[in-house]
Amino acid sequence: MQGIGLLLVTNALDKGIPWLLRDAIDALVGGRLGAVARTAALVATLAISMAVVRTMSRTRVFNVGRDVEYELRNDLLAHLHRLGPSFFQRVPTGETMSRAINDLTQVRVMVGFGVLNIVNSIFAYTIALGCMLAMSPELTLWAVLPFPLLVLVARLMGKAMFSRSQASQEALGALSSRVQESLAGVRLVRAFGVEAEQEQLFEVANQRALEKNMSLVVLRGVMWPLLVGVASLGTFLVLFHGTAMVRSGTLSVGGLVAFLAYVESLKWPTMGLGYIMAVLQRGRASFLRVCEILDAEPDIKESQHAENPAGEGELRVQDLSYAYGERSVLSGVTFTAPANRSLAILGRTGSGKSTLAGLLARVVPTPTGHVFLDGDDLTELRIRGLRDTVGFAQQEPFLFSDTIARNIGYALPETDSPVAIERIRAAARAASVLDEIEDLPEGFATVVGERGVQLSGGQKQRIALARALLPQPRVLIMDDPLSAVDAKTEARILDALEAASKGRTVILVTHRVAAASRCDSIVVLDQGRVVEQGDHATLVGGGGFYAQLAARQRLEEELGAL
Amino acid sequence: MNDVARKPEADRPPPNPNTKGASRPQDAEAEPTLRDLGLLKRLLPYLRPHWVMLAASFALVPISSLATLLQPYLIKHTLDAVLVQHDEALWMRMVTFFGCAVFAEFVAGFAESYCMQLAGQRSMVDLRREVFRHAQRMRIRYYDNTPIGRVLTRVTNDVDALAELFSSGAVMAIADIITLVGIIVFMLVLDWRLSLITFLALPPLAFSVNWIRKRAREAFRAIRARISELNAYLSEQVQGILVVQAYGREAACAEEYRRINESYRVANYRSIRLDAQLYSVVESVSMCCVALVLFYASVRAGVIEGSARQAAYIGTVVAFYQYIQQFFVPIRDLSTKYTIIQSALAAAERVFSFLANEDVEPVDTEVAPNPALAAGTPAIDFDHVDFSYRGDDIVLHDVSFHVAPGEHVALVGATGAGKTTTVSLLLRLYENTAGAIRVAGRDIRSVPRRELRRSFAVVPQDVFLFAGTVAQNVAFSPNEVDDARVRGALTRVGALDLVERRPEGIHTRVEERGANFSAGERQLLAFARALYRDAPFMILDEATANIDSETEARLQVAVSELMRGRTAIVIAHRLSTIQKADRIIVFHRGQIVEQGTHQQLLELGQVYAHLHQLQFGDSNAAE
Repeated sequence: MQGIGLLLVTNALDKGIPWLLRDAIDALVGGRLGAVARTAALVATLAISMAVVRTMSRTRVFNVGRDVEYELRNDLLAHLHRLGPSFFQRVPTGETMSRAINDLTQVRVMVGFGVLNIVNSIFAYTIALGCMLAMSPELTLWAVLPFPLLVLVARLMGKAMFSRSQASQEALGALSSRVQESLAGVRLVRAFGVEAEQEQLFEVANQRALEKNMSLVVLRGVMWPLLVGVASLGTFLVLFHGTAMVRSGTLSVGGLVAFLAYVESLKWPTMGLGYIMAVLQRGRASFLRVCEILDAEPDIKESQHAENPAGEGELRVQDLSYAYGERSVLSGVTFTAPANRSLAILGRTGSGKSTLAGLLARVVPTPTGHVFLDGDDLTELRIRGLRDTVGFAQQEPFLFSDTIARNIGYALPETDSPVAIERIRAAARAASVLDEIEDLPEGFATVVGERGVQLSGGQKQRIALARALLPQPRVLIMDDPLSAVDAKTEARILDALEAASKGRTVILVTHRVAAASRCDSIVVLDQGRVVEQGDHATLVGGGGFYAQLAARQRLEEELGAL
Repeated sequence: MNDVARKPEADRPPPNPNTKGASRPQDAEAEPTLRDLGLLKRLLPYLRPHWVMLAASFALVPISSLATLLQPYLIKHTLDAVLVQHDEALWMRMVTFFGCAVFAEFVAGFAESYCMQLAGQRSMVDLRREVFRHAQRMRIRYYDNTPIGRVLTRVTNDVDALAELFSSGAVMAIADIITLVGIIVFMLVLDWRLSLITFLALPPLAFSVNWIRKRAREAFRAIRARISELNAYLSEQVQGILVVQAYGREAACAEEYRRINESYRVANYRSIRLDAQLYSVVESVSMCCVALVLFYASVRAGVIEGSARQAAYIGTVVAFYQYIQQFFVPIRDLSTKYTIIQSALAAAERVFSFLANEDVEPVDTEVAPNPALAAGTPAIDFDHVDFSYRGDDIVLHDVSFHVAPGEHVALVGATGAGKTTTVSLLLRLYENTAGAIRVAGRDIRSVPRRELRRSFAVVPQDVFLFAGTVAQNVAFSPNEVDDARVRGALTRVGALDLVERRPEGIHTRVEERGANFSAGERQLLAFARALYRDAPFMILDEATANIDSETEARLQVAVSELMRGRTAIVIAHRLSTIQKADRIIVFHRGQIVEQGTHQQLLELGQVYAHLHQLQFGDSNAAE
């Protein structure tokens, strides 16, 4: 509001100058030189105060745009935090990022630039027209004569700009996917020796993008001179009739000069109208896209009467089925993981074991009435409390672009105190990664992740494992945490795990018989169904699916040893 | 590997606030400044073909400038005609001239921008083509450690940023200078004393504009750093959302993000304030100039003798008022243009350093005559071949084998045993580090790559389909598609009926990556493509994916059809394919460990026997 008030003042000052100009010129014509000098001083005063007010008004108005952007960004992340996997599977990361980057910019431009221009134009028109009418209603009529045309041109141009810039964006998008395609297939293109043909394909898209872009650019090119031209038409009319009026004595020379100045000063706001249309349209479309994210329903919601989990840490699964859309992943899964014991869920790739792990930790929307922690339905527990009680290490270890210490100590409020450092080291030792971390030049202060040091898959997995071990949750669910680790390291970690899992419930999801065999009990999963349950000895003796897998993996080991 | 070593700005990670002490000096590196304008010199070769348009555009600059600059001058003379000469004819003439100047400004302005755009956009199309072509020529090893996204950015976004130079009219900054000079000349001609008074405002203006601009540049750089930090953080949050949620870190992360967001906002506030200051200072200085002119007029008018000359002075003052306004517009827009030029320079640096990366496949020139295959010469001959992707990491060691003309050989081995690499060497996608490879008796290093590759038909494991029609995909070409041959190829792999089932038959559109075809169909299309090629050698990398039994049966038939009458190397995953092969070569850890027929190798009871039991143990039990 303050910004708008300041805009009003700015405009009043701005439009005061031609008024003074009239007085000065008339005084000059009349030979009242003292008055001229005084007016000149007044103009200077006005100019200087305008500098202050204009700076303030522009700052205020544009800052509002930034404030809106700031709030939207915070809201966006806060909302993303609440959303579940169904959203992230549907909307690719790139798409989310594009909305957070490009669309938020458009919204900000709409709020900042758009508002400034609309409000500014209204003020400029009102004040300038008022002054002009006060001087000469007749000449005002002549001056505004081309304005409807100007607005029309600006609007038409704005509309055409919008559609053409969209067409141009689309053509660029098509070009981009064409290039992406060629690059993705670069090996085959090379093998076939069809580079020339690929270039032809590229060239078609390239030329099309040129065409679309030229039609946009031509419009941009014609728009400017045309708007200037139409605006100058006003100047022409004022000059023509104004001088005639001066000759007949119905207008003072100063009045004419002031009129010319007013017409000139309205040029910009009027031309701005063309842009504003496009800005508003684009901003609205972008805002809708941002809202699509903000309105997405979280699929993991806390129940109203949620309570904190309390108990030993027994997990019971009762007739659990799950499907991604049409595709059934789990059907009728039933088993119990007793408290303070270890349980392995063994299955091949695609058996549904990762989904099951996610459901047990409720990072995937767990259906009500099928998974129970110490007798309480998982969906009736407070999410915060559930997260503290049930630790979850995902299969694809995601590390943040931060130090190793902070990655391992992710669950800690701070990682710099001696106690925290000791816990981090202990976790690293348990995950059998301590030595390797200390061998790095910067040790625990090494920055890893996308923007840091590249670690091997096995190292990443073990750091992620350390991160999961550190908070010592009552129930620890690990989704194939050792898939990228060699057999020897695996054995070492499993030893450490065994020690660390004393006094807690451990659920180890794995595809390796060697890992599963060390757990107290084993659930064998195949195509979403539990096919066998029992301990290692029983299952091997049973000669079923588990026994087959065991034999197969023994063979693999033999081959590796050849 | 220039491009990899010198990571360009956009790909470079922003400074991480959490890494105290972890110094990454390149982050502090300055963005290109106007001093790097030399980079733009490298654009010249692309502009040269369009010089006529460019010249026309530049030739029009003085005309449109003149038309603009004449307007205040004509206003003065119109006023003079009324106030001084009292001459109606002269007045009419001057008003008409003014109208003409307005019209000329429009026409010349449009023509000037049109010519500039045409030249600019066309040269950018050429540059884009050049970058694409270069990407196509880069050695395959470049793609082994460069994300496609980065190369894509060179072809698209970076060239776009350069094109912005033309479409935004930043190139026309030169024209602005001409206009400025023109204004000064006109002012001096009108009244040199008044001009000097006006120019009094210039030094303080130049000083404050420069002062603001320097700070604005710093602010701008801070914004750039903050926004990339902000985006990187968000992107990481989205990718690691499961971890954030599993550890209940939402609030802490939101707080951290808010902190970065806040510093981004503060940087923006700063930039907005500076921008507003620049705008306001320029506006106010121009108004102060008007005040100065008026003030000086009050002094000067007293000195001027005679009412006629005094009256004439009014016209001059009015013209000055207009000139002053025109004078400050380009100065006000300076910062915008500066920003555009700066990001174009950054893009130019990336594009040209990519083009300067010489790790390309050289163009083979010599065309040796294709000698007829002497009797007994193997069609394909690997002679003690070694290979490593980099340094000491040996992928293939002492690989020797040969394939007789018309023979079908199956390569078998665990993942990473070296089968695919062997085939890549054969096509010269990589160069073997030791030993020799001969095709039809000629060392492949003496055969032009294109000719060599054209003598092979390849079916890769991952089918590559591009957006186009089925026929274009089979022919692997956007033109000269021989429909009959396409149908023939599809018939032989038994896929014609599948394709004809669709309304548009072989002219059905294939979506990006063949999304509208099933895995089995895509595989068959790849087979058809190999047959269409009709090359003497066939390389087939069988897909491992499980396919329903009906399609599986089709594929088996198709594979035999594919290899009939050709020398073929198959990286085999299907038992049926392996059993049908004339000979099986077993790879184990980059070496050939066994060779022979299925039966012989099974009896040997070593690697192949193990592999066989591993892969087909279950189906064996069923047989």
